[in-house]
Amino acid sequence: MAKTLILIEHDRQQVKRPSLHAITLARQLGGDYALLVLGHGLDDIAASLVSYGACAVVVADDPALTEPLADRYATVIAEATRKRGAKTLLGTSSTFSKDVLPRAAALLDAPMVTDVLAIEEIDGSIMYRRPINAGSMLTTVRVEGDRRVLTVRATAFEAPAANAAPSPIERFAFDAASLPNGMQFISREQRASDRPDLTESRVVVSGGRPLKDKETFERLVGGLADALGGAVGATRAAVDAGMAPNDYQVGQTGKVVAPELYIALGISGAIQHLAGIKDSRIIVAINKDPDAPIFQMATYGLVGDLHHIVPQLIEAVRRA
Amino acid sequence: MDFAWSDQQRELLDAVGRFATQQLNYDVIKNDREGIFNHEAWKKCGDFGIQGLLVPTDYGGLGTDPLTTVAVLERLGYACKDNGLLFSINAHMWTAVIPLVYNGTEAQKKKYLPGLCNGTLIGGNAMSEPNSGSDAFALATTAIKKGSRYLLNGSKIFVTNGPIADLLVVFATADKTRGSDAISAFLVEKNSPGMNVARKLEKMGLRTSPMAEVFFENCEVPEENLLGKEGGGAFLFTRSMTWERGCILASAVGSMQRLLEMCIRYANERKQGGHSIGKFQLVASKIVDMKLRVESSRQMLYHYAWLSGHRKAVYLEAAMTKLHISDCWVKCCEDAIQIHGGYGYMTEYEVERELRDAIASKLYSGTSEIQRNIVASMLGL
Amino acid sequence: MKILVPFKSVPDPNDVTVAGAAASTPKWVINPFDEIAIEEALRIRERGEATEIVGVTIGAPAVDEQIRAALAMGVDRAIRIDDSRALDPYAVARILGAVVEKEAPHVVIMGKQAVDDDSNQVGQMLAGLLGWPQATFVSKIEFLDNRTRAQCTRETDGGLEVVAIKLPAIITTDLRLNEPRYVSLPGLMKARHKLIETLTCDQLGVTVRPRTTTLSISSPPKRAAGTRVESVEELVAKLRQEQVL
Repeated sequence: MAKTLILIEHDRQQVKRPSLHAITLARQLGGDYALLVLGHGLDDIAASLVSYGACAVVVADDPALTEPLADRYATVIAEATRKRGAKTLLGTSSTFSKDVLPRAAALLDAPMVTDVLAIEEIDGSIMYRRPINAGSMLTTVRVEGDRRVLTVRATAFEAPAANAAPSPIERFAFDAASLPNGMQFISREQRASDRPDLTESRVVVSGGRPLKDKETFERLVGGLADALGGAVGATRAAVDAGMAPNDYQVGQTGKVVAPELYIALGISGAIQHLAGIKDSRIIVAINKDPDAPIFQMATYGLVGDLHHIVPQLIEAVRRA
Repeated sequence: MDFAWSDQQRELLDAVGRFATQQLNYDVIKNDREGIFNHEAWKKCGDFGIQGLLVPTDYGGLGTDPLTTVAVLERLGYACKDNGLLFSINAHMWTAVIPLVYNGTEAQKKKYLPGLCNGTLIGGNAMSEPNSGSDAFALATTAIKKGSRYLLNGSKIFVTNGPIADLLVVFATADKTRGSDAISAFLVEKNSPGMNVARKLEKMGLRTSPMAEVFFENCEVPEENLLGKEGGGAFLFTRSMTWERGCILASAVGSMQRLLEMCIRYANERKQGGHSIGKFQLVASKIVDMKLRVESSRQMLYHYAWLSGHRKAVYLEAAMTKLHISDCWVKCCEDAIQIHGGYGYMTEYEVERELRDAIASKLYSGTSEIQRNIVASMLGL
Repeated sequence: MKILVPFKSVPDPNDVTVAGAAASTPKWVINPFDEIAIEEALRIRERGEATEIVGVTIGAPAVDEQIRAALAMGVDRAIRIDDSRALDPYAVARILGAVVEKEAPHVVIMGKQAVDDDSNQVGQMLAGLLGWPQATFVSKIEFLDNRTRAQCTRETDGGLEVVAIKLPAIITTDLRLNEPRYVSLPGLMKARHKLIETLTCDQLGVTVRPRTTTLSISSPPKRAAGTRVESVEELVAKLRQEQVL
């Protein structure tokens, strides 16, 4: 039986690619690992997971699991972990995994480490490095006990290669009727978008409060993102002001991204925002204030009024 | 003598500092330029509890003692850059709230104090007239009793909060020939028939505090709105004016402290001739003088407040405190401008506005000359 | 309805003097997400849906300052669990579980994460230990069916989601749930008369041993400062060189 069980996330259509990055940590830890998906109607999703070298793709498929209700999911995940004798339960940090995995950890009487960036083995013990204080500091921790739960930061681990011999798909049997009944899914915002996912995109263009309003934000930030084929992000201030929806928020309590190119428009560089972009390869900052903290971290900085600069930049990119 | 604050006082002061820094310092340059009163900031101060300091808890106040009160106002002046807002708050407290606390009937106190304490009601007073400023009791505004009402006739000038006040304490005389004995104080609600709050007055400083002329033409005031006794107006005025003199410049001590810190920072950062300008003795000396003024003002303020809290006579100390702090404040502002050089003259740096705001302190609540007269007479001269 | 609000004392996140190093004498405040939880509890009470708000925190006597701030905001009474050890989220959840058994609240509202540790685990673990429904990262709370259920809007990676949960339940707050009121002077003065109960884990009947050990704390590698460009053309040229364009 695999000693590591990895929770894979999907959006009912396909696997969320960042959730696969936990496999890279599992490979570093060594030993067998199995993948676990929960939901309903998972045949295609399960099939897409067979090339990652897992000793099994474990599927908990039932109408009762159609929506990711934490009480039900945590119960099934804990049961699967126990029944399969897994000692490490892994996931990639996301609102989904943060919702269900700590609860599963409690059901398993296991400590949990969130946002693992790297591991180190010292004297046979594994140490986990993770960010604290909005990423302004790193801490190395060790956990005790028979089992542990970990989430990894997707941007800290490479996407795993998918070229292994096919894994068997196993149905995980559980008693759906005895699942908790205290939570009910009501609705979910569905916003269709042609743009790539913020956490998966090569290019991210983000805007801050100086973008003034929703229309200007979409025109300039969205316009530049589209010209570059990238995703759109926003600061907390911009989301608070209603310029962008919450899922665009990048930062300590939003999404952490590490694209090839991150362009920050009208963003001063508060620590809480920088926490979400530090590992981007190239950071470009465009800001009116030459003393804005973001310029200390930007690979390229351009001081000026974004309302003039961005249209020019969109033009120049289109021509390039 | 114990010069330390108690834990509880420190807790209050820290909360004031944090509140004022985070909530009150926005749009000050713009509001000063356009003469706009920050209603929202006023309401926040009301929610926070500022307007209720000193008022007994039975009437919705905090019941703080005078020393704690002035310390809170000092911290407010330190953390809040809008001197006009603070001036309006002070006018409200000393010219409307205090007279009600000391002279109001139960009914009047219950009716007005809760709203005045939480900021939902704005108060002020109308005393000065076009022909009577320093000669305070030479009033021309009359109040004649007709049945169950008083009819007020006359005009008042320099009414701070006039354009926004819900309640004014108006001083008028029953008989111009009888001098101060004939003066009474009245609680006049806004929009009283016959009351006309006229044009807003443009000022040199304190421009975020609105001021107007107010005209009374057979303005009807119900008899239950007589504040204190008939003929007791002068006494009421003098008593609340003593409070005003002692307390109104508490926030100025905080402003001076803020200016001092600004100047020290600037003197250390600004370099001329290869080193910081703070190394020039002529600059350092000015800052030393500022420091001395802050300390001496503070000690006078606390001493006055301590005496007041211990129910000692404070007529002399109030006058000295007001005279000294106003003098110090204006001089500190002048020095601050000088130390900042050309930048001190620029609106953006918010130094020049301090001087424009401070100059009025030598004029209101009795001019510096009047304060000197008071001190001289109290010294037996 | 009785609301239990757990809160944590953290170094003031707005007070970092040098990036990566905490200020030498940090100023301590209530964790911003917990402040939002307290504010929400106050608003629920103000609209007549709650009768008692109890705060609970774990720490040494020094955290009494934050307890007084919570009481000054309007919390009715507070419990301090006297324990100055470095606890981990699971230990905290177990202690809170014992407090929940003692206080029997109808709902627990707490911040989604502490801004110093950033683990985002305690609320969910507490829910798991109690077997209660949970709603995490909540930006709106409405009570339904005579306050037997709560309808919560959650901020997730995919946008907003709405769930309905039976009470008693655990709710963790996200940033946009509300803007907390500032502590007022009347609040501070009333707080002096409010009860702070101090209990040890023994008195609470719970024994916990943290199973996470911190071995070291370090600064992350600093990104080297880059270069200024003077024009859009120069920027585009550089990005071409970097092969991102």
